[in-house]
Amino acid sequence: MSSITAPAPTLDEPIDLTHLEGETGMVERPRRRLLPFDPWHLFLAPLAFVMLLPLVWMVVTSLQTKAQTLHFPPILWPGTPQFVNYLDVIRDSAFGTWFWNTTVVTVLVVASNLVLCTLAAYGFARIRFLGRGFIYFVLLATLMVPLQVVLIPTFLIVKQLGLLDHLGALVVPNLVNVFGIFMLTQFFRTLPIDLEEAARIDGASRLSILLRIVVPLSLPALATLAVIQFLWTWNDFLWPLVTILTNQDAFTLQLGLATFQGAHQTQWHLVAAANIMSMIPLIVLFLLAQRYFVRGIATQGLKG
Amino acid sequence: MSAATQDLGTVTRFRRFLVSDHVAGWAFILPSVVLIVIFGILPIVWGLILSFQKAGLISPEREWVGFENYARIASDPKARQAAINTIYYTMLFVPISILLALFVAHALNRKIALIRFYRLAVFIPVVTSTIATGIMFLWLFDKNFGLANWLLGKIGLGPFGFFEDPNQAMIALVLMTVWGWLGFDTIIYLAALQGVPNELVEAASIDGASRWTTFWRVTWPMLGPATLLLVVWSTISALQLFDEVFFVTHGGPLGRTSVVVFYVYRLAFEQGLGSLSLAGYAAAIAYVLFLVILILTLAQFWLGRRVVHYSS
Amino acid sequence: MKARLLIVLAVIGLLVPACTGGSDESSPTDETASGPVTLTMWHGYTDAEADWFNGAIDEWNAQNPDIQIDPLFVNNDKALQKLTVALQGGEPPDITYQFGSSLPQLAGAPGLMDLTAWTQQPDVGWDDFIPGATQAATFEGKVIGVPALIDNLAIVYNKTLFGQAGLDFPSDQWTWDDLRAAAKALTDPATKQFGFSYPMDASEDSVWHYDPLLWQNGGSILNEDETQAAFNSPEGVEALQVLTSMAVDDQSVYLDIQNSNYTDIFNSGKIGMLMTGPWDLPSFPDVDYGVEILPGFDGDHQSIAGPDVWSVFDNGGGRAQAALTFLQWLTAPEQVKTEDLATAHLPIRLSVAQDQSFLDEFAKALPGVDVFAQNLENVEQARPVLAAYPQISEAMGLAIVSALLGEKDPQAALDEAAAQTNDALALGG
Repeated sequence: MSSITAPAPTLDEPIDLTHLEGETGMVERPRRRLLPFDPWHLFLAPLAFVMLLPLVWMVVTSLQTKAQTLHFPPILWPGTPQFVNYLDVIRDSAFGTWFWNTTVVTVLVVASNLVLCTLAAYGFARIRFLGRGFIYFVLLATLMVPLQVVLIPTFLIVKQLGLLDHLGALVVPNLVNVFGIFMLTQFFRTLPIDLEEAARIDGASRLSILLRIVVPLSLPALATLAVIQFLWTWNDFLWPLVTILTNQDAFTLQLGLATFQGAHQTQWHLVAAANIMSMIPLIVLFLLAQRYFVRGIATQGLKG
Repeated sequence: MSAATQDLGTVTRFRRFLVSDHVAGWAFILPSVVLIVIFGILPIVWGLILSFQKAGLISPEREWVGFENYARIASDPKARQAAINTIYYTMLFVPISILLALFVAHALNRKIALIRFYRLAVFIPVVTSTIATGIMFLWLFDKNFGLANWLLGKIGLGPFGFFEDPNQAMIALVLMTVWGWLGFDTIIYLAALQGVPNELVEAASIDGASRWTTFWRVTWPMLGPATLLLVVWSTISALQLFDEVFFVTHGGPLGRTSVVVFYVYRLAFEQGLGSLSLAGYAAAIAYVLFLVILILTLAQFWLGRRVVHYSS
Repeated sequence: MKARLLIVLAVIGLLVPACTGGSDESSPTDETASGPVTLTMWHGYTDAEADWFNGAIDEWNAQNPDIQIDPLFVNNDKALQKLTVALQGGEPPDITYQFGSSLPQLAGAPGLMDLTAWTQQPDVGWDDFIPGATQAATFEGKVIGVPALIDNLAIVYNKTLFGQAGLDFPSDQWTWDDLRAAAKALTDPATKQFGFSYPMDASEDSVWHYDPLLWQNGGSILNEDETQAAFNSPEGVEALQVLTSMAVDDQSVYLDIQNSNYTDIFNSGKIGMLMTGPWDLPSFPDVDYGVEILPGFDGDHQSIAGPDVWSVFDNGGGRAQAALTFLQWLTAPEQVKTEDLATAHLPIRLSVAQDQSFLDEFAKALPGVDVFAQNLENVEQARPVLAAYPQISEAMGLAIVSALLGEKDPQAALDEAAAQTNDALALGG
C-alpha cells in the first residue's frame, strides 16, 4: 500500500528520473500521514460504489427466481442464488449463436476502424493537402445528424448492396467511424513532430513513418479507440433490429436479449443473467487494454 | 529545351506530383472517405430531400412543399418545448461531465492499491446497457421506495420526485447520463494524461510550484486537444440525446424531458406514419438541429484554435 | 473504379424508391402457389406464449409441406418501426403482428392486403370473432387484419389487504363511489400502501383506463361524424373527476409515472386494487388476488378492449393466399382453445367464449381469467380507428395526467385537449 515512500528530491544530488514512483504526469511527494492509507481512497471508494451499483443490482437479479424479481422495491438478497438462470439462458435460447455473431461483427469492425481511422487521421493531422479542412469538416458533419433520420436511407443503401439479413449489413456500414478519425486526429496532433520530420528528411515514406514512429507512440489512443468501438458495436441494437428481417440465425446479442422482453412480461432474471454474460468480454477487454492507455514511466523516456 | 529534356521534365513533375502532399494526403484518407460518403453523406442528403416534402414513412407518396416544413417549426409549441429542453440539458450535461471526468481521471492516474479495480468500476457504467441503467435509476430515484430518498431522508431532506416531478425530471436525467458517460470521458482524459511528459511536471515542482499551479500551468494546457475533443463530442451527443429519454422518461412527465430527437422520432415513427405524413416535418426539425450543431461545433473549433496548444 | 460504381448504384438505389408512386392495397388474388412457399412471420411472443406459438408452427409445418412458416421474433414495441423501415426498403414480411392502434398508420402501406372479400367466405367464420376485435381490424370500411389477441379491463384486487381492512370484496354491483371508498380505506401513508393505482406516463395507457368511465357515464370520445372532440362534455368531466378526487383529494392512488412499477408493487402487497387486464395476472404469484368486473355508473359496467391483429402483405407468388390459409387455421376455434389454455389469452371467438365447459377448463389455467372472458360481453364500444388517433391520444393523455397530478382542473385540462384534438382532426384525420 505504501507507494509514496521516495525521499524528497534535494538539490544536492542529481535526480534519477528512472526511479520515480507513481505514474506519468504525477510527482509524488512524501507527506505527513494523517490516515493509514492514501487519502484518494476516500474519494475513489465511494465513487466506485456508486458506479458499481447497477452491476450489483443486475448480479443480484440474475440470481433470483422469476417470482422474486416481481417485487418493488426490489428484494436485495435472493436467498438461494439461482445459478441455473445462466444455464437456462444458454440452453433455452440461441445464446451461443448470438455471442458468436456479435463477436465476429465486432472484431471485424474494430480491426477495420483501427486501420482506416489511423490512416485517415494521420492524413488529416500531418499532411497538408488540397481540401483537407473542408473534407474534415464534411466528415464531422455526419456526426451531427441523428440516427433516426438516416436510418431509412442507410437501410436502402445496404439493401442495394445485397447485404440485408446478413452479418455483412452490420459490418460494412461501420467499417469506419468518424468519431475514431476525429479522436485520433486530435491525438496525433499532440505528438512532437520532430521525430517525424527527421525521418522525412532521411527519406522515409509517410507510411513507414506512420507505422514505425507514430503508431507506437499512440498506443493509449489506439487502445482507447479499440475499446470504445468494441463497446459501441457490441451494444448496438437499433441497426441490427432493422436490418435483420428474416434470418434469426443472424441475431446479435442485443437482438437476442430482446427475446426475453415480451409485450407484458419480461423475464428479468434471465435478462439480467444474459446481460451479465454479454458484458464479460467488454470487461475483459477493458482490463487488457488498460495496460495501454495507462502506462508506467518505463515507456515514457522515448519522448523528444 | 530539346524534346528529351522536356519529356524528363514532365516525368519528374509527374513523379513529384505523385509523391506530393496532395496525392499522399488523399491516399491516406480515401478509403475512409469513400465509405463515409456512401454510408454517411448520401443518407444525409436523402433526409434533406425528405425535409422539403410532405411524406409519410409507410406510404410512398411524396409531395413537394418547399420550405413549408421549416416554417411550421416556428409556430409549433411542442418543437419550442423540445428545443428548450434540449438546450437546458446540454448546458447542464457538458460542463458537469467534463469537469468531473477531468477530476476522476486525475484521481485514477496514480499507483495506489486497488487502482485497477477503481478504473474498472468507473468504466462499468459505460458498458451497461441503457435499459438496465434506466431500470436501476428508476428504482434509485423512486419517490416512494427509492434508495436516494431513503438516504436523503436520513439527513433530513424531503422526498424528491426526481423522474416523477416535471421540474426535477431533467436534472435526474442529467445525473443519470453523467453517471453513464463518466467512464468514457475519463478514459480519454486518462489516455491524454499519459502524454504529459513527466520531466515538465518535475521541472515545475522543482521550481517550487504547488500541485495546483503545476496542474494548471503544465498539465492542463497539454490536455487541450483532449478537452476540445470531449467538448465537441459531448455537445454533439447531448444535443442528440435519445436513448435515455426513450427508455426511461418517454418525454415525460408532461413533456418536460421531450428533447428534439425524441420529438423527431415520435413524429416520424409514431404519429406521422400514415396519411398524416409528418416524416418530412420531422426531417426538417432534425436538419435545423443539424445546423445548430454545425454552427456550435465550428465555433468550438475556432475557439479551440486560439486556445488549444498542439506540440507541433 | 469500383468505388465510383458503388456510389452510382447507391444513388440510383436511393432515387428509385423516392420517385415511384405507391401501389394500392391488393386484394387476395386467386393466384395459388406453384410450389412450396416459405412465409416470414413476425411475432412478439415470449416465454409461455412462445412455447405455444412455436408448437403450433411446428404442428402446421409438419402437416403442410407446401406452406412453411418461418417465424422471427420482434419485440412488439418495435414492430411498427421495424415494419416501417422494411416497407421503405420493399422488404415487408408476409405476416406480422401489430397492435390494433397501429392499424390506421398501416392503412396506406403498399402491399397491405385488403381482406374484406376473404372475410366473407363462410369457413372463415368472421362473425364468430368478438365484435370489438373485428371493429379494430377495420379501417374506413376495409378489413386489414385478422384478430390475434383480445383483452379487456377489469378490477384485480388483493384479498389479503381487503381482509386486513375488514372490507367486503368488490362486487358486480359496485359503483365508482364504492371503489373510491375502498381505496381510501386501503391507503396508509405510514406503510406506503395505496388503495388504487393509475398509469401516469401520458401514453395511450393513461387514456384507455379513463375511456370506460367516460363511456359508462354516457360520454364519448368524438362526435358522431368524428370531426370534433366530445370528451370534454359534462359526462366526460364527471368521469375524470372520479379519478382526480381519488388521486388529488384522497391521495389513495399510486401514480405510476413510468407505468412499469405497479405490477411489482402490487405483487409486494402494497396496492389494494388495480384496473388492468388478464396479461398482468402471471405477474402476481405472491398475492391472493380476486378479479371483478369494473364498477359502474348507473348500472352501466361496460369495459374496453385492446385488440391486436395479424396483418398480411402481398409479396407475390401466391404467398398472400397461403398466408390466409394459415391464419384461418391459426384462428380456428380448435386452435384458439389450445392457445388460450396454454397462454391464458382470452378467446377471440364468441363460440369459444360462450362455451361453458371451456370456461371451466380455462379458469384452471389461471385463476380469475374466466372473469375476464365473461367480461368480453361488456365490451360495447371501440376507440376511433383514425389516422389522427395518436395525436388525440397524446392530447387526452397529457390532460388526464395533469389533472391527476393536480396541476390542472379537469374541465380546463379536457378543454385544452379537445382544442388540440380538433386541430388534429382538421389537419387530416
